[in-house]
Amino acid sequence: MPTLLLFSLAVLLLGAVLCVVLRANRASAWVSLLTQAVASALTLASVFPLLRGAAPFEHSWPWPPPIERVVFRVDGLSAFFLSWSLPMTLLGTVYAAGYLKPYFDRGRHGGPHFALLNLTSVAFVLIYTVQNALVFVLGWEIAAVAAWLLVIWDYKNQKVRFAGFNYLVSTHVGLFVLVAAFMLLHSSTGSMDFHAFGDFLSHPRPLRGTIFVLLGVSFALKSAFFPFHTWLPRAHSAAPAHVSALMSGVIHKAGLFGFLRFTLLMGRPEEWMGWSVLGFGVLSACFGVLYTATQRDLKRLLGYSSTENVGIAAIGFGVGYLGWSWGVPALALCGFAGGLLHILNHAFFKCLLFYAAGSVYRATHTVDLERLGGLAKRLPHTAGLFLLGGLAISALPPLNGFVSELLIYSGLLGSGAPSSQDNLVLVATAALLAFVGAVSALSMSRAFGITFLGNAREPGLQVGTEAPAFMLAPMWLHALGVIVIGLVPEAGMLLVRPALRLFPIGPNADAALAPLAAALWANRLLAAFLLVAGVFGFLRARRARRTATWGCGYTAGSERMQYTGSSFAAHFARIFEPLLPALRRERLPSELFPQHSGQLATNHVDAVERRIFEVLGRGEDLVVRMSESIPEQPRFAFAAGLAVLVLIGVLLLESGAQ
Amino acid sequence: MSIALVTNLVALLVMPFALTGVINRVKSLWSGRKGPPIFQLVYDVRRLLRKAPVFSHTTTAVFGIAPYVLLVTSVASALITPLSGSTPFVSFPFDFVWFAYVWALGRVALMLSALDTGSSFEGMGAAREATFSTLLEPALFLVAGALCAFTHSHTLEGALALRPHDGASLLAWIAALVALVIVLQVEVARMPVDDPTTHLELTMIHEVMVLDHSGIELAAIQVASAVKLLVGASFVASLLNPWAGQAGILPALACLTLSLLVAVLLGTVEALIARLKLRTVPQYIVVAISAGLLALLATTWQTGGVQ
Repeated sequence: MPTLLLFSLAVLLLGAVLCVVLRANRASAWVSLLTQAVASALTLASVFPLLRGAAPFEHSWPWPPPIERVVFRVDGLSAFFLSWSLPMTLLGTVYAAGYLKPYFDRGRHGGPHFALLNLTSVAFVLIYTVQNALVFVLGWEIAAVAAWLLVIWDYKNQKVRFAGFNYLVSTHVGLFVLVAAFMLLHSSTGSMDFHAFGDFLSHPRPLRGTIFVLLGVSFALKSAFFPFHTWLPRAHSAAPAHVSALMSGVIHKAGLFGFLRFTLLMGRPEEWMGWSVLGFGVLSACFGVLYTATQRDLKRLLGYSSTENVGIAAIGFGVGYLGWSWGVPALALCGFAGGLLHILNHAFFKCLLFYAAGSVYRATHTVDLERLGGLAKRLPHTAGLFLLGGLAISALPPLNGFVSELLIYSGLLGSGAPSSQDNLVLVATAALLAFVGAVSALSMSRAFGITFLGNAREPGLQVGTEAPAFMLAPMWLHALGVIVIGLVPEAGMLLVRPALRLFPIGPNADAALAPLAAALWANRLLAAFLLVAGVFGFLRARRARRTATWGCGYTAGSERMQYTGSSFAAHFARIFEPLLPALRRERLPSELFPQHSGQLATNHVDAVERRIFEVLGRGEDLVVRMSESIPEQPRFAFAAGLAVLVLIGVLLLESGAQ
Repeated sequence: MSIALVTNLVALLVMPFALTGVINRVKSLWSGRKGPPIFQLVYDVRRLLRKAPVFSHTTTAVFGIAPYVLLVTSVASALITPLSGSTPFVSFPFDFVWFAYVWALGRVALMLSALDTGSSFEGMGAAREATFSTLLEPALFLVAGALCAFTHSHTLEGALALRPHDGASLLAWIAALVALVIVLQVEVARMPVDDPTTHLELTMIHEVMVLDHSGIELAAIQVASAVKLLVGASFVASLLNPWAGQAGILPALACLTLSLLVAVLLGTVEALIARLKLRTVPQYIVVAISAGLLALLATTWQTGGVQ
């Protein structure tokens, strides 16, 4: 089986080379699609036995130092991530072939872009299977650089270059932290092998917590957890739609994979680790969703929603951690199953939403909510698919988002914690998750309603045609996943279960989840009734008599008077004003008879990004003021210098004594 | 079992109309009028069913489908609620989570149909509904979590069977009642949050979202709202009912009477209290959240803190 996996690597690399070499875009696209299809098939074939319950397999090769030995190991966790990452990248490439066509028609060479998509798949195979820290970092770096180059497709635009650079810097800050963790591990174990890392980490020692924090920060940066998310909305709004989709839905899941991989290596976590993962998850989910409510840019909005959804997955993992550390298998089961399934679900609906947003951009050349409106009549497929994705991401039944959140809720509300105080915190977390769900429903109603319903808010907006088949096909397939996992969660659990078995979930995991099956039947019944209601309403709407919208007695209404994205979120934003800073630029007319026209621009900015710069600015001030005061008091400067020298000396002696 | 099914069915078929009628009658009596018949809503629905709908040019299929989605979700939520005090049609673990999200689905459908008309008034109503619901959901989950912790159950029916037996549970019980009444007032668009009979679109929430609906679609929305009213009222009634959890005609009658009393309460509040300013509505909902938190805190007192 490992040979199949290696063969897929070779095919992908060959495809990447061919893509660059071939001059015709059409040829590059087909080569990329073909090689990725072959690689996906090979990967699926190699992980298929694991999905059916076979034992993990591994293969190792001797390699020149410093790597010494490369071990490819495919266990349940790798199988879970591999089973959807490569096929979804393939779908993204199909979408790219349609989405980039207008650029190709203008003479742009797309070969390198397709090669990079192939390299992304290569990175997945490496990250998800290798057991050597150096090769892991190599895969990590391939994914990061490929994603950066994919983001800056439109590199002539300065904003896009800035967004790409911002991403590149952030992802490398994460890499430094990861390398720091690996250096600590290497210096303690003398090996780069994950197996040795696991032996070291599974015993309680002071360094364990430090390494946990370092790894957590690094993986949080990769997956764009709050407050490490600032690069994400920029990158997502600048990148082509399929790149945003793949980054948000697939590539950044590598961060969560890394987190789970080291969770397994580390073994039973301490309680504080569980609480911090839970807290981090709640923070990400709440802040991510708050920002989705106020964004004007449709793709930025979806980007913040990624932060929200990795937060929800982390809430699940936090519950799993707590269950593991308390020795409550039922809690660990609900947490890890919910978190893993949510990762898969998020990949399905987030890609769908980004693809639909790309279709909007292709037709209108804008994703600014204040200009859009009424697209459902011109882009009916895109509208329906966006609505489906939006309902799923708001966790509304009977779609897939609800299933994974129900699993997490069942952990939070199941009174599984040993003390009532712990239960209290878990119930409060459930209430926050409910808040996240409600705000998500608000944001998605707003995003869909403002973009696709009503009339265009900019009267002269040129709307093109519906997306071509190359773009619609991946969307339909993702939509199918959203519906199928919603109605038959077993389909998703099939992929999740091998990964889940690695965690301490108790012997009768399936029996423990059985009570939730009733809710699934309720979902299916609801779906049947909704279908009937939908068909009935649809048929009636076609035959209804038509007239103008009721204007409440006012007869001069215009498109400009419709509710906009900003006005829809205004009431909500006012309640959460301290957390959602609004930037207001205005030059209002002042005289009684204004001679000049005024202007007003409002924008909701990222609090973290603003505060970082404010704090950095203040820190600089502080250093400047201190350094200014030193030369005026030479004695103080001498004493301070001496104190620092003594401190360094003491520290050196300390470490020497150890 | 079978008695409970029958009483639930009767409740589902009759009570939505009766409750709406009772609220209106109570309001009329307080203002010195005779008021419409108790079952006026039945006549209204019958009249609407005979009318052909008129849709706006701006609307899409969303507008036509939404009323039926709302109706399906309301009835679905009624099926898992102990309408007559005991044994709902369906009950399963964590059905209250399902309940909250099914209501959310209906709400989203109505909001989208409002946005579909392109009317600024309806957009306004949708924005308000969405905003208030974000505060309402945590309150609902806090109450549900607290009640579940007291009753050691994971179903709606079990949670609503809480009866005060000591100080902590009494506190949680009262807090839950307060929170549920507020949730009910917001969800079914009643005073002091929303005025269903106002004539000024600028101040409406729920009614403004259905301005463009007519005919059968409007009837579906009105019935759906009435069913939601029944569901909310039977939450409060089940919690108050001394015979909750027992099947039989008398306990069921007691529960239905209590539901009617809840309607009397709503009507009285509506007749005597002015609508809150829209800016202060979030604060009113925060009262429900605080009550939910109080109920949750009471769970730790009951078990005596750290174990």
